[in-house]
Amino acid sequence: MVVALKERGDGLPGAAEQSGPIEQLRYACSMGAMQTAAAIPRVIPITHCGPGCSDKQHNALTAANGYQGGGWGGGGVAPSSNATQREVIFGGTDRLEELIEATLKILDADLFVVVTGCIPDLVGDDVGSVVRGFQSRGAPVVYAETGGFRGNNFTGHEIVARAIIDQFVGAYDGEREPGLVNLWSLLPYQNTFWRGDLGEIKRLLEGIGLRVNLLFGPDSGGIAEWKAIPRAQFNLVLSPWLGLETAAHLQEKYGQPFLHIPLIPVGAKAAGEVLREIAAFAGVSERAEAFIAAEERTYYTYIEAFSEFYSQYRWGLPARFAIAADAAYALALSKFAVRQLGLLPARLIVTDNPPGEYRDAIAAEFRALDHDTEGTVEFLEDSYLIHQQIRSAAFGHKPPLILGSTWERDLAKELKGVLMEIAFPASYEVVLTRSNVGYRGAITLLERIYSTTVSRTA
Amino acid sequence: MAINLRTAAVETREQRLGTITAWDEGTAAKLAEQSEYSRGCGAGCGVGNKGSKLCELESPFTQGGSCAEQVVQGQASGILDAVLVQHSPIGCAANQPMNNTNFRNTLARRGMAVRNSLALSTNLTERDMVYGGVEKLQETIREAYRRHNPKAVFIATSCATGIIGDDVETAAREVQEEIGIPVVPVFCEGFKSKHWSTGFDAIQHGVLRQIVKKNPGKKQEDLVNIIILSGTDVYTPMLAELGLRANLVLNLATIEQLEQMSEAAASVSFCYTLASYFTAALEQEFGVPEIKAPQPYGFAGTDAWLRAIARATNREEVTEAYIAREHARVRPIVEELREQLKGLTGYVAMGASFAHGVVVVLRELGIDVPGTLVFHHDPVYDSGAPERDTLGHLVEETGDVENFTVGIRQHYQFYNLLQRVNPDFIVIRHGGLSPLASRLGKPSLQLGDASFPLGYQGIINLGAEILAVLGQKKFHEDLAAHSSLPYRRSWLDEKDPFALARAAVA
Repeated sequence: MVVALKERGDGLPGAAEQSGPIEQLRYACSMGAMQTAAAIPRVIPITHCGPGCSDKQHNALTAANGYQGGGWGGGGVAPSSNATQREVIFGGTDRLEELIEATLKILDADLFVVVTGCIPDLVGDDVGSVVRGFQSRGAPVVYAETGGFRGNNFTGHEIVARAIIDQFVGAYDGEREPGLVNLWSLLPYQNTFWRGDLGEIKRLLEGIGLRVNLLFGPDSGGIAEWKAIPRAQFNLVLSPWLGLETAAHLQEKYGQPFLHIPLIPVGAKAAGEVLREIAAFAGVSERAEAFIAAEERTYYTYIEAFSEFYSQYRWGLPARFAIAADAAYALALSKFAVRQLGLLPARLIVTDNPPGEYRDAIAAEFRALDHDTEGTVEFLEDSYLIHQQIRSAAFGHKPPLILGSTWERDLAKELKGVLMEIAFPASYEVVLTRSNVGYRGAITLLERIYSTTVSRTA
Repeated sequence: MAINLRTAAVETREQRLGTITAWDEGTAAKLAEQSEYSRGCGAGCGVGNKGSKLCELESPFTQGGSCAEQVVQGQASGILDAVLVQHSPIGCAANQPMNNTNFRNTLARRGMAVRNSLALSTNLTERDMVYGGVEKLQETIREAYRRHNPKAVFIATSCATGIIGDDVETAAREVQEEIGIPVVPVFCEGFKSKHWSTGFDAIQHGVLRQIVKKNPGKKQEDLVNIIILSGTDVYTPMLAELGLRANLVLNLATIEQLEQMSEAAASVSFCYTLASYFTAALEQEFGVPEIKAPQPYGFAGTDAWLRAIARATNREEVTEAYIAREHARVRPIVEELREQLKGLTGYVAMGASFAHGVVVVLRELGIDVPGTLVFHHDPVYDSGAPERDTLGHLVEETGDVENFTVGIRQHYQFYNLLQRVNPDFIVIRHGGLSPLASRLGKPSLQLGDASFPLGYQGIINLGAEILAVLGQKKFHEDLAAHSSLPYRRSWLDEKDPFALARAAVA
């Protein structure tokens, strides 16, 4: 049977065309971006897909990954068309219309985001025309075509963000507010620590005198912030690649400039540099210096205390590390490990399948881990290959530090290493506000790495 | 209706058994009575008579459920020396992390070395949707074989491969010839069945067709097949008392254990939703008798279950002695628990036959159970044996359940259902509903370990666990005072969980 596929939206990033099998997956599918919608306070995703799709994506992202909880309107709350034979043979637009109608009667949200699975995208449901019908009645509904074969939840995230911008935020020709910034950074729910991390990033940006449309998570103001997107002075893309597509679109749509900083700062060195760069771009340098100085005083008070452990512990600490994580965390934590702890990289693996056009730039970031340390990054998504690479790395005679996921539990035992679950899926972690970034997160990360190390033989 | 192992794809539950997923007409007795047609009684007569069926509600509003592929994934990736290939876009494999936590915890509970479960996704992309995914499937099977040297490879199909029409059967046969181990296609497209339990039938169908020995050389007269889900092995010690050996399948079984199912003296289970197809097919196609008895819950159910095994394996005397010993050991403890649990009301929400069993145990403990939600209902199991009428057994042994509902795990309906009965606690299996109970101040007892409530010891287990869970009430009541639900006031005031469904047909 030949299936006529609908055109993909312009310029959206896709999975590498030559993808191979994946064992022990490290992300969800495009429709996993249902949790992108659910990450916005008082927004509920409507999943138009088969009966198990929603359950699988949100269970993976919100339960087996830090037991974060699905959110107020995500997880088991999200409506789903649970498509059957009927919707496959006759199409599912009637069913979707019925579901949205019923949803508006039962659920009370500020915005509903229809995300699609493989079935409607394959049989060619005209989801847009169904949703436009509701939009013309003034119902707060948008749609995003996220069929699982189109990519992973990273690319799905940008499709959802764009859907909300184009169909809900809409046109704007008013003034821009100096000092207001839209933040595009790590991926909600996929990154186990996103809530705490976004909270810390917000604290830093406010510390240097900016106001932030955080857009996702408990520290965000929900759709009011989304409505305020066009008013912002600029977009800040704080990640190696995720968010660039959205920022470019906003530049085109609203003439809004963006600043791209690939590194999410972890620790004082990176935080100082990144905050100075943002402050210079935004024109708030003076205030930034005072904030950085105050943060560094606290940070180094703790580092001083930590140094008594770090310099005197008798029973062996890791000297080399391997990391397997999405580009954002892989880069952020590697730089911290190298520049602030003096660890050496044994294996650097990026697992989120960044679109081809961004890979050279990401590799360049890893080559410049520090002035005296060059890293070589590998792009792998199949955990079997990832484990082969980590297994063959040179860790010297010290216990390897592995920054990875639950999939590395067996490998860490085999290598007699120290495993920190910092990447999806982190199934042996319960995570609520914990953060690994900025000043405070870096200290927490230190506590966790070395608590795990010293308790290894308990 | 006879089971047909000749076709590669299993017939769905709704086709074979008349399974429904939404019913809310009153009591358990009423549903049991309405289901009698399926056993040749009442109106409509005739097992599998397609002319008769239960009336089923259909709601315009639905929340995410589960699918047959998800079940197949859990079952197949739990077979120790096999590898699962998920022939699908990557999202179908998103259940792997959750499965893996179940797998690792069950290994630990069974005293085995803890490790990751094995499954590969063919990771189909847009290009494959246009050109087909067969080549990728064959390459992934070969890769699974090279990497892990398994004794068999199972293939789980997906909605996408079903729609694009990949010839998975031929693809599997070709690679099977090449690598010389069974390559078993399991057809489990989510859209094909409205209930996920078809996934149990699909994987069992595959195992019966390609793994179980067709012509067993010898019979093992002391071997009993026990169809299990992940949980503690309570069976081996129990059967040892009877001089029998337990062949635990499929969860954490080896291919050798699956092969020898046809050599066993009998097949039995704690959950007939799960085992319906397997035990009926083993009897029909391999002559291994299905144990026809109630499920092993509460004193009466467990007595009858053990006695039926004893009859099938000629171990009546030793079994009677064991039953007497267990009664003497367990009854005084249950008496104490009844005293401690006096006056409590519980609500049960889980898969159908498991729920029937758990209600029995709660009532054995003196707990009032005015309401139960089952996630689907099979009017009959495959063998059609009246002794296996689990719902009928519940009603006959312990009395009716006043508010008995069939509903496919819908968060929004659970609100109205709990308003009907206002229980002190919920006993539940599956994720998704407990969070709602929490926000209403109700603690949930999550039955992750499927062996937990069964047999004589199960009565004690459940009683002790309820006492522990009641302690959490403070947490949930505090939460209830500080959280909101996403539903409109009009829905929260609605008394009928199926109001939308009934309005749609009115």
